[in-house]
Amino acid sequence: MMNRFNHLPTLKIDTSEKIPFTYKGKQYYGTKGDTVATALYANGVRIYARSLKYHRPRGLYSMDGECSNTMMEINGVPNVRTETTLLKPGMVIKEQNVKGSAENDLMGFIDKMDWAMPAGFYYDTMHKPARIWPVAMKQIRKAAGIGKLSPDHHMPGRYDEIFPTCDVCVIGGGPAGMTAALAAAEKGLRVILMEVRPWLGGQFDYRTAEYANRQTCHDRAVQLAKEVEKTDNIRVFTHTANVGAYNNNLITGFQVGTEKDSFTERYIEIRANSVVVATGCIERPLLFENNERPGVMQAGCALRLANTYGMLPGKTGVFSIGHDLGLEAAVALHDLGMTIPMIADIREDGQDPALLKAVTDRKITLLKGWVATEAHGRKQVKKVTLKSLDGTAEKTFDCDVLVASAGFTPLTGPLVVNQAKLKYDAHTNFFLPTDLPKKMHAAGRLLGYENAESIEASGQLAGLKAAYDCENCSIADLGEAKKIMESVPGPARGTKLVMAPVKGRKTFICFDEDTSIKNVKQSIDKGFDVPELIKRFSGAGLGPGQAGIPGHNLPLFTAKYQALPDIKIRPTTVRPPLVPTLIATYAGTNHTMLKRTPIDDLQRKDGGIFRNIGVWQRARYFSKDFTSRKEIENVRDRIANLLGPLGQPTHIEKVGRVVCVGGGIGVAPLHPIAKGMKQAGNEVVTIIGARSRELVILEDEMTAIADRCICCTDDGSYGRKALVTEPLKELCIIPGMTTGIFSGKPHGCHGGDQPVPGPNARKVTEKVVNIDVSNEAFGFSECKEFKVADTIPVKAMRLGCG
Amino acid sequence: MALTITCPICGKRNGYEFRYGGEEKGPRPDEKDLTPESWCDYVHMNKCVAGVQQEWWFHRDGCGSWFTIFRDTTTNLEKETPEAKE
Repeated sequence: MMNRFNHLPTLKIDTSEKIPFTYKGKQYYGTKGDTVATALYANGVRIYARSLKYHRPRGLYSMDGECSNTMMEINGVPNVRTETTLLKPGMVIKEQNVKGSAENDLMGFIDKMDWAMPAGFYYDTMHKPARIWPVAMKQIRKAAGIGKLSPDHHMPGRYDEIFPTCDVCVIGGGPAGMTAALAAAEKGLRVILMEVRPWLGGQFDYRTAEYANRQTCHDRAVQLAKEVEKTDNIRVFTHTANVGAYNNNLITGFQVGTEKDSFTERYIEIRANSVVVATGCIERPLLFENNERPGVMQAGCALRLANTYGMLPGKTGVFSIGHDLGLEAAVALHDLGMTIPMIADIREDGQDPALLKAVTDRKITLLKGWVATEAHGRKQVKKVTLKSLDGTAEKTFDCDVLVASAGFTPLTGPLVVNQAKLKYDAHTNFFLPTDLPKKMHAAGRLLGYENAESIEASGQLAGLKAAYDCENCSIADLGEAKKIMESVPGPARGTKLVMAPVKGRKTFICFDEDTSIKNVKQSIDKGFDVPELIKRFSGAGLGPGQAGIPGHNLPLFTAKYQALPDIKIRPTTVRPPLVPTLIATYAGTNHTMLKRTPIDDLQRKDGGIFRNIGVWQRARYFSKDFTSRKEIENVRDRIANLLGPLGQPTHIEKVGRVVCVGGGIGVAPLHPIAKGMKQAGNEVVTIIGARSRELVILEDEMTAIADRCICCTDDGSYGRKALVTEPLKELCIIPGMTTGIFSGKPHGCHGGDQPVPGPNARKVTEKVVNIDVSNEAFGFSECKEFKVADTIPVKAMRLGCG
Repeated sequence: MALTITCPICGKRNGYEFRYGGEEKGPRPDEKDLTPESWCDYVHMNKCVAGVQQEWWFHRDGCGSWFTIFRDTTTNLEKETPEAKE
């Protein structure tokens, strides 16, 4: 096992605590705080899976679960994103889509067969003759595909759902998101902050570059996170991925629980008055031959491996990057001990001068206007060819890691699914949102800001805009934030799509579906000229990564190949769920939505067999003989069931005006209550209900004792056609009139009704109660309150005449 | 469901709590001159507006009141006024 750093301030692992897990039947150890992917990486695993179509080896690439590269089977559940799944003790991990092992896959030869499978191969060839279809399909299914799940698989874990509401919902817990949340919270609003990683901080969290006044970005992230946690009116959901945003500002997401939580995963549906989207950026993959060979990874991934998880991605790393974060990563990794023979930067100029100086100080060679064209090595990167952009000069370097990244891709998903329009922006090379939905604001890096000051200023402005939506912020405050926004640097210049001249046979634009540049060209040549169509025909972006990898490159490449002007570049459509979610999470808890009687425990102990009866779960049988013959005989001759406790007895006193509501036979127990209330000096209104005219009981008696008696029937055959709650509501709306409401229900709110049928009923009752239950003292249809065994208060009603 | 409905008693609540009660079609026709055809029209003929319409809702999981709201059927959002305003 690799030695891990334990002194970096940015680390999220605790090297003192080891966590055992099993991979391919062997025991390995990870460290507390590891994700499954990083634990495997630390143990020397480089090939995590084989790709869907060509069975190409795949390894760690992005760290945010944007591609299927690192999806594995964990504890029998396939397609788990190991990059974002935290390691737990005893996990059993397996590779997917392999015959043999990930290192030696017997199906690996398919990689060489790509010439036989051009784009649309299945559509073109697999429709005739029809009779071979069933056979062919089975074979294809066997060879391709990622992960298998048995139909009777039972998903372990506890799943839950919550439906919180708030004034402002902030998606993204990076510097912009935290600033926005703080700005809105300061105005006294209730704020919800969602962050996809298990901690707040976003891109600042793993960066050790200077923020301001010798404070690092990481320190700033910690400082902001502390402020957020200190603020009472910000509710933070960490490890919570946003999966959708809908009109009326309905935001959905799912949260992965920690060991302390009562749930494994839970669905969150937030209703917010205003929304701030500060989801930030992911990196845009660089296109070159074998650009997904294990060992090729993005700059953020390499940096996070070191800074967050405490290990170097490799011994020797060549960089081919197109943004300042790449330079920053090179400097940071060099300082931690990685040998960096060469940095190839796509940009001819425009680099941060401080970073350039840092690179020169460390005597790292930086080639401007160069790019990687091919990664060599059968299973892992061994060698890299770099070329100048015009293709004239060429250099080759030995290395075990190639850090490759073309630039940034804004995560505009939540905005797009909520109907915002995207427009290509030539300066940032981003698709920027133009028509934002009502009460939805964007902030931070996804707008192209790279300067820390600008990111926070945009967060502040968006937070105040959201507060303004909630009518808690003045125009003056908003104007001030706007002024600050104007004074800070604007969006940074983004890198264009740059590719050295390659045929693109093994240049993958989409990793999930094995779609190469060549496939895209074939699709365009066949007449599928719009990215949306190319996506459907070639499969680019249809995989489990939800277009995280090809989403930005595909439209750019299509436009370039067709020589389209900038305004014509159209992104593909993004649809929810933005992040794949377990069906179990959507299903939530399997609640037993039934009421239980107070004697439920006793009946269960006695072996009662329960049935769902209406809203109740009640003991239906006490013997295996469901004809209940013996029980029936017992009722006829002697006595059946015994008593159970009822609800609280009604407290009778003078309160003023009383409404007594009852329906069906519930009117009977209400009668003595109404009577008592009247005698106590109250003004009594009774509302009695029944299904139809025939079933109205005790109306005369009620009219006699009450000041007013309202009678309702469900079918309108007598009195008023309404539920008893209708007149009750009308009475309640007259202010200050009602002081007490008593209801009598056949199945009372406390629901412990027990019949005492049988000729011996009175004999049994006599023994346990403290009142006279003789025929004369306890008349037919009379209701009495007394105590059983001098302790349990009951309401009893006589129903039989015997 | 993104719809929220403002109940006259409980205020703005989640759309899940309500049951749809059909379009508002004015008062019940007088029984005097009622023919089966005109009754049938009253019960079954709907306008199905693409835009703002007045409709009945029942607060099933709440106070149980019946009331009308204006809803834009194209955006599935509640409106305060019968005019479609964006």
